[in-house]
Amino acid sequence: MSNNKTGAVLVIGGGIGGIQASLDLAETGFKVYLLEKEPAIVGRMSQLDKTFPTNDCAMCTLSPKLVDAAGHPNIELITYAELEKIKGEAGNFKVQIVKHPRFVDEEKCTGCGICTNNCMVQNKAYFNRQPAMIELAAEDAGKVNTIINNYHSQPEFLLAILQDIQSVYNYLPSDILRVVSQQLNVPLSKVYGIATYYTAFSLKPRGKYVINVCMGTACHVRGAGMILDALTRHLEIAPGETTKDMMFSLETVNCLGACALGPVIVSNDKYFGKMTVSRVEETLEKLTVSANRRDAETLRR
Amino acid sequence: MNRIKSPEEMESLIQQIIQERGRSEKIQITLCGGTGCHAYNCQMVIDAFEQGIEKGNLSERVGIKVTGCHGFCERGVLVVIKPSGVFYQQVKPEDVPEILSAVISGEIVERLLYRDLNTKSKITHEEDVPFYKKQTRFIFGHNGEIDPTRIEDYIAIKGYAALGKVLSGMPPEQIIEEIKKSGLRGRGGGGFPTGIKWETTRKAPGEPRYVICNADEGDPGAYMDGSLLEGNPHLVMEGMIIGAYAIGSSLGYVYVRNEYPLAVKNVETAIEQARGYGLLGRDIMGSGFDFDIKVVRGGGAFVCGESTALFASIEGRIGEPRAKYIRSAERGLWDKPTNLNNVETWANVPLIINKGADWYAKIGTENSKGTKIFSLVGKINNTGLVEVPMGITLREIVNDIGGGIPKKRRFKAVQTGGPSGGCIPEDFLDTPVDFDELTKVGSMMGSGGMIVMDDHTCMVDIARYFLEFLKNESCGKCVPCREGVWQMHNILSEICSGNGKESDLDLLMEIGETITAAALCGLGTTAPNPVMSTLRYFRDEYESHIKDKRCPSGACKELVTFIIDVEKCNGCGVCKKNCPQGAIIGEKKETHTLDGNKCTKCGICFEDCPFGAVMVR
Ligand SMILES: Cc1cc2nc3c(=O)[nH]c(=O)nc-3n(C[C@H](O)[C@H](O)[C@H](O)COP(=O)(O)O)c2cc1C
Ligand code: SF4
Ligand code: SF4
Ligand code: SF4
Ligand code: FES
Ligand code: FES
Repeated sequence: MSNNKTGAVLVIGGGIGGIQASLDLAETGFKVYLLEKEPAIVGRMSQLDKTFPTNDCAMCTLSPKLVDAAGHPNIELITYAELEKIKGEAGNFKVQIVKHPRFVDEEKCTGCGICTNNCMVQNKAYFNRQPAMIELAAEDAGKVNTIINNYHSQPEFLLAILQDIQSVYNYLPSDILRVVSQQLNVPLSKVYGIATYYTAFSLKPRGKYVINVCMGTACHVRGAGMILDALTRHLEIAPGETTKDMMFSLETVNCLGACALGPVIVSNDKYFGKMTVSRVEETLEKLTVSANRRDAETLRR
Repeated sequence: MNRIKSPEEMESLIQQIIQERGRSEKIQITLCGGTGCHAYNCQMVIDAFEQGIEKGNLSERVGIKVTGCHGFCERGVLVVIKPSGVFYQQVKPEDVPEILSAVISGEIVERLLYRDLNTKSKITHEEDVPFYKKQTRFIFGHNGEIDPTRIEDYIAIKGYAALGKVLSGMPPEQIIEEIKKSGLRGRGGGGFPTGIKWETTRKAPGEPRYVICNADEGDPGAYMDGSLLEGNPHLVMEGMIIGAYAIGSSLGYVYVRNEYPLAVKNVETAIEQARGYGLLGRDIMGSGFDFDIKVVRGGGAFVCGESTALFASIEGRIGEPRAKYIRSAERGLWDKPTNLNNVETWANVPLIINKGADWYAKIGTENSKGTKIFSLVGKINNTGLVEVPMGITLREIVNDIGGGIPKKRRFKAVQTGGPSGGCIPEDFLDTPVDFDELTKVGSMMGSGGMIVMDDHTCMVDIARYFLEFLKNESCGKCVPCREGVWQMHNILSEICSGNGKESDLDLLMEIGETITAAALCGLGTTAPNPVMSTLRYFRDEYESHIKDKRCPSGACKELVTFIIDVEKCNGCGVCKKNCPQGAIIGEKKETHTLDGNKCTKCGICFEDCPFGAVMVR
């Protein structure tokens, strides 16, 4: 196959896209130069756990391709090198590539790894390098720092820290998640992993009143579904959404621990038991009125 | 607060508090401040009592005590006057002045007494109420007596005496022997013998060792763990301290759901107070034994109740289970030997130590000892938390304690074991409640959810409901569960909306068997249970959905229509006024009619008709 080459191609970037393109081109008979600025081809995909939409394991998809690309007779890897200049037009390009110095004789290195063990300087792997620091407004920075300091900046308390942030902000703002990731020295992907895994978290701002409808078994057999339908109708939002005026968010929960009073809804720490469809409207009113009164009282004080 | 420096000091503190309290002639008004009663606005009742006492200058004679859940949440807000034991139910703030003056004059407010459902006679004392009468409330009974935010209340019921006994010279091996002999089995669902688990963890190599209390209570519809932790946190903690001593652990965790804010708060207060008395911390009761407890709040994921997912969650990771060939007794939290027990399991420990294993082993059946707390909810008259000795029959629980089905409807099934369990039909109501017997009839003990269903509950819908729950809660780590449960749920949804095929039932069984055989954790392996058990006992319901496109119970929205019974309708017009779709027409005092084309089946008219004239077909 490699005898009847019809030309040569330069693929820039050795991530999953570049690797796949190189493999496809190489299979059809082109000579491929795969250029990568880091010391190894691999890219971002290796940092993912599962991939959308099939939920396949990222490494299971990627690693056979890495092996194929490295071993393919038509592919020549040029790693730790960058494109300097490009001239010409389609069908006839001339490129100039700068190879970064590696300070070892590549011909002689067998990859035994002794030098890495003995090197006194520890560099972070390139995918762990920190992005630029995020600057929060002073007020937010203060709040976030207090929360993180309460847990002595220990990554094992990530879940608790996110819970506390959510109770202050009502949701998890994305720039605060970045700051948490930086201060705890935990990859952002992991912070997001937790924030999206546990149902208690919301990544979107929520309304002033978050109405949680219990969908637990005890409430279900007593008609919780009808209550949820009624709330959806009244507020004109689906579960998980927030009204445009940012007053109400509608959510569901699996059990509130007041099963004997099912169906139960709870909003901003106020429980409403034995709900009926006809009491929905009145309950919404009660909620806002009593809260307004509370606001007024605090103002007066 | 003085640190207690020896088991003898503990004993004398107990005696001192009991005597002090015995001398007081104050009348105590105990009222429930549990989560259930909060839904009945108990805070307003509490405020009303406080104001009433202050206004009437009664603080010398009358005190109030806000306790945890008493169990009979259905009738909240509950008020019990001590020492007379008079029991008032459904108390509202406006009833408070009347109660206060009756308390002073020694009278009884008749109208607030509980009225027996059958005989209609009034019952004055809490212990005579049928709901409580058949219960054996060794564990849960104290909830009504103590204020969970005051450690002295717990000490006054001889709390921490068991810890004193243990630390005054019971060697760890002897404690483990005692727990083994008692026959205590885990209350979290698995029913694993607790003593053996402790022994394995004690013998496992590696330091430090951890003990954990599982208060994740993911089973929707069960709330006994939350109520126990919220109403009597010291009982659970005392169990944990004893366990830690026996196992050789110096740090414990309570993993509690974030949906239980009151439980989190009360257990945190309790830990502070126990530290103050030196019951937690360094050198407990001068024995040289150090132990402390931390609270970790969960993030609302059912699978985090599973042991290995729970460890991952405490470690600040995503709560996904791991494969079971590594035993958590040997490599659990932070890869160290770890002993995980349920809230109720821990709460049984002080009782066993105080009364002895032989006494404990007399309660219950051959292989299931002691009592079990159930959350008796759903279509039943007396809903609430009930504690019964193992071996009692389901019929006794449903009929005698639960008072039967409301609105004279027919009993259909009782669901136990939560999303991992199954539905038990009427024919098996005489099954004794015990780990093995419930498994035999295709369900399981589970953590203690007991949901009663009547003839208006559709069993296909229930199976669909559980599968929907499990579909959402599957962590997605393994394919059989992630895809299989999803497919089963799809099929069930199709059946419920009238698009089922006859071949679906076999397909459901086939997928179910595969999931059970191949899933990684308990969530997956038990996920098909709700479908399998309803298919076993209620196949006819599935068939009418598929063949006749009919939901016999009138619960599946797509398959029912609402109609007005001309015989019963007297034209009051309530339905017409309330229908959001304007689907009901009719003149005042004449029979109304319902336009099926406009109706969105919201159910308002059905709920609101004062004469029961709206019917579901
Ligand atoms: C999916 C799943 C959810 C569970 N949820 C709980 C729970 O909410 N509470 C609990 O105590 N045990 C739960 N368990 C059982 C625990 O894994 C564990 O067996 C139990 O806490 C051990 O305590 P025990 O021996 O005292 O029962 C769950 C198990 C599985 C597989
Ligand atoms: S069985 Fe389900 S919940 Fe358990 S590990 Fe597999 S996907 Fe996760
Ligand atoms: S509420 Fe009932 S009785 Fe009244 S008009 Fe409607 S159907 Fe008839
Ligand atoms: S079920 Fe709802 S929409 Fe239908 S008639 Fe009754 S009130 Fe109207
Ligand atoms: S099922 Fe709704 S509160 Fe428990
Ligand atoms: S919460 Fe008050 S009795 Fe259960």
